[in-house]
Amino acid sequence: MDFLLSDRQKALREGIHGFAASVIRPQALSWDLNAGIPEPFLKQMVQMAAQMGGQLGVSLEPAVAATPDEMSESGEKKKSSANLTALIGAEEMAWGDAGLLLCLPGPGLGGPPVRASGTPEQKERFFGIFKDMSETLAWGAYGLTEPGAGSDVAGIRASCRKEGDEWVINGRKCFITNGARAAWTVVFATIDPALGRAGHRAFVVEKGTPGFGVGRIEEKMGLRASETAELVFEECRIPSANLLGGEESYRSKEGFMTAMKTFDNTRPLVASMAVGIGRAAYEYARDFVKENYLLPRSIPRYAAIAERLAKVGRQLEAARMVTWRAGWMADQGIPNAKEASMSKAIAGQAAINACIEAIDICGAEGTIAGDHRLLEKWFRDIKVYDIFEGTGNIQRIVISKRVIEGLKGF
Amino acid sequence: MIDFAPNEDQQALQDAVRQFAKTVLAPRARETEKLRGFAPDVQATAVEMGLSIASIPESAGGPGFPFVTRVLLEEELAAGDPAAAYALAGPGAFALAITEICDEARCKHFLTPFVEHPDRFGAVAWGEAKPVAERGGFGTSAKWIGNSFTLDGTKSYVVGASRADTLLVFAQVDDAAEWNGVGAFVVPKGTHGLSIERVTTLGLDGADIASVRLEHVRLPRASYLNEAKDWSHRLLRFFVKNALLVAARCTGLQRAAIEVTRDYVQTRTAFGKPIGHFQAVAFNISDRFIDLEASRAMVHRAAFLWDAVAADQATENEAFLASCRAIGFAQEAAMRAGNDAVQLHGGAGFMRDYPVEKYMRDAKQLQVCGMTTTQTDQLASRIELGLPLEWSLLIPSAESQNVFV
Repeated sequence: MDFLLSDRQKALREGIHGFAASVIRPQALSWDLNAGIPEPFLKQMVQMAAQMGGQLGVSLEPAVAATPDEMSESGEKKKSSANLTALIGAEEMAWGDAGLLLCLPGPGLGGPPVRASGTPEQKERFFGIFKDMSETLAWGAYGLTEPGAGSDVAGIRASCRKEGDEWVINGRKCFITNGARAAWTVVFATIDPALGRAGHRAFVVEKGTPGFGVGRIEEKMGLRASETAELVFEECRIPSANLLGGEESYRSKEGFMTAMKTFDNTRPLVASMAVGIGRAAYEYARDFVKENYLLPRSIPRYAAIAERLAKVGRQLEAARMVTWRAGWMADQGIPNAKEASMSKAIAGQAAINACIEAIDICGAEGTIAGDHRLLEKWFRDIKVYDIFEGTGNIQRIVISKRVIEGLKGF
Repeated sequence: MIDFAPNEDQQALQDAVRQFAKTVLAPRARETEKLRGFAPDVQATAVEMGLSIASIPESAGGPGFPFVTRVLLEEELAAGDPAAAYALAGPGAFALAITEICDEARCKHFLTPFVEHPDRFGAVAWGEAKPVAERGGFGTSAKWIGNSFTLDGTKSYVVGASRADTLLVFAQVDDAAEWNGVGAFVVPKGTHGLSIERVTTLGLDGADIASVRLEHVRLPRASYLNEAKDWSHRLLRFFVKNALLVAARCTGLQRAAIEVTRDYVQTRTAFGKPIGHFQAVAFNISDRFIDLEASRAMVHRAAFLWDAVAADQATENEAFLASCRAIGFAQEAAMRAGNDAVQLHGGAGFMRDYPVEKYMRDAKQLQVCGMTTTQTDQLASRIELGLPLEWSLLIPSAESQNVFV
């Protein structure tokens, strides 16, 4: 057992922290108000990530864990610390500004399904565009949610049919992060809604494909710097080569499992971001107490406030530990679907509670917006962490199925 | 590098204790409750396994387990019977207190007898039922008269007192110094003037909880322990580490309560299906499993940090903070687990045919063992706010909340 970070992890954390405090935070509110981050700054971020040896800690895409199959092949366990390191980086980035993390160029949430299910040719083609972004920035996106199907993934209605060497997609996708600017989006559609999950197909739809358009860009409560778009498909024709994983991989229920596999590794990452935002709010309230309530004479509100503060601190610590464990399991090649859901469930709520309590602790002052007064922004940003990547209740369904025998669904 | 897995030695110990808990402690928990202690054969097995000396450092002839190993063992024992940690032979909290407040020579002097006689018990007499109105500090007094100390007063909430061969008794040596005038004394069983009265409690029936009366108890100079300059700080460390062991027991209790409840909701049917197949029930179970996951990881990390402090790899404040958070979380989570376990069993859960009502009572009892969450939260916030650790405000006493030590 060991709970000390490696020197590399410490350096990464300190590096991101310093950058977040001195560069990211002073701009965070203006990005939020202007609903976007200027491209020159994003280019600077890309260069920085390259210098830091890849996308470690500054990307939404986690390393893909070794699966048990891969382990048995070589006869020994494949161990790394890539997932855990990414969690540490994500917490620190989100402590700076979660919106920025979602805006970072790269494959984003579209990365994991392509990496997990794409053919070698597809991986080469779709990841190739991110190799050199010194001139042109590029994004990937992930399109699953529809106006009528969010948590109930099996209920998607976007349709696809095969015509010759092409697939034709019709339907709408909503709440798609970086959906408007993405060079390509992994889009889920169904050959027949009656088939349920077995009917699902995943496509990589490239920007500019005829019949594929962007609908509205959403106005959100928080994470306003991040672009959230609606995607519209009208007789959109996709070459067969863009069917993710190729025809073969849909002979079984794998089509749907592709979607689900994505989340095992991204949920702890999202949980870590939530912890980062919650910690930002906690530290803000803590410093506020230090500066305003610790007077030479004792004041009545101190003891009760100290306890509220401590409670927030321990809930965040609980969330961080569950999240780290889920990441550690992925690094060890241990299946972690249950623990990944646990991390997302506990972190979303702990962090929301941290923001709610932090404003209470600070009082009126806590709601005033300013370049160094981001608490109201974090309060707006955090709510969606109990919603996207599976709501809290969806996480509990995932957990329930794994702890209660014979439970297939509700 | 972060690693959540116990090493091979720890795994082997964990397996052995888990087996003992599963095959002996759990099936006999009701018997233990009636006996208000373990049957002799259970005690003998535990002694044979070396459990009674688990808390003794290497310098005194014990195994000198890292703190991580200690919390692993406590969780396993508590998963069998939450009272086990208190009812099995050994110096228990006495050893931890002596290890924290004494130098190596005295540690060896007081703890070696427990290695030589592994069936012996120890206890710590800290709490008092009423605060002293006029000043800080304890009402139990220790006066230097002639060439010995004379102790008078009543200590309460003492775990293991009536079985104890040796007690560590805290008494006021210097009234004017208030909480800084508290002294610790080692009192052997049978000392003239020492009487012990067992009390009945809500839970942890197997533990032996008592009041200790001291009437003109005369003790030699050598039984007085406060030499260390950072004595008060050492005392704070004892309380926090002792409460961290309680948190480990809370983790074991959660596991036992949730698992038995999970099994129950899979077999109990209503409205045509197992009740566990309804969301309200399944989500409740899921939430308690999340609690368990968090409690365990937090307790492990806090224990690891104490080992890291000993190896100069972490600061004491880091260990204090992680411990306080783990203790508060695990205690509250254990109470939620106990409460929900009874709730999900419905009327049956209220009956003693099922183990869950015991878990619920034990959970509440554990919340007032070691330190309370109020106390750990206050300590955590003082660390986070950069305030001095005023130990007398932070440790349990009649001035804040009393606890079982």
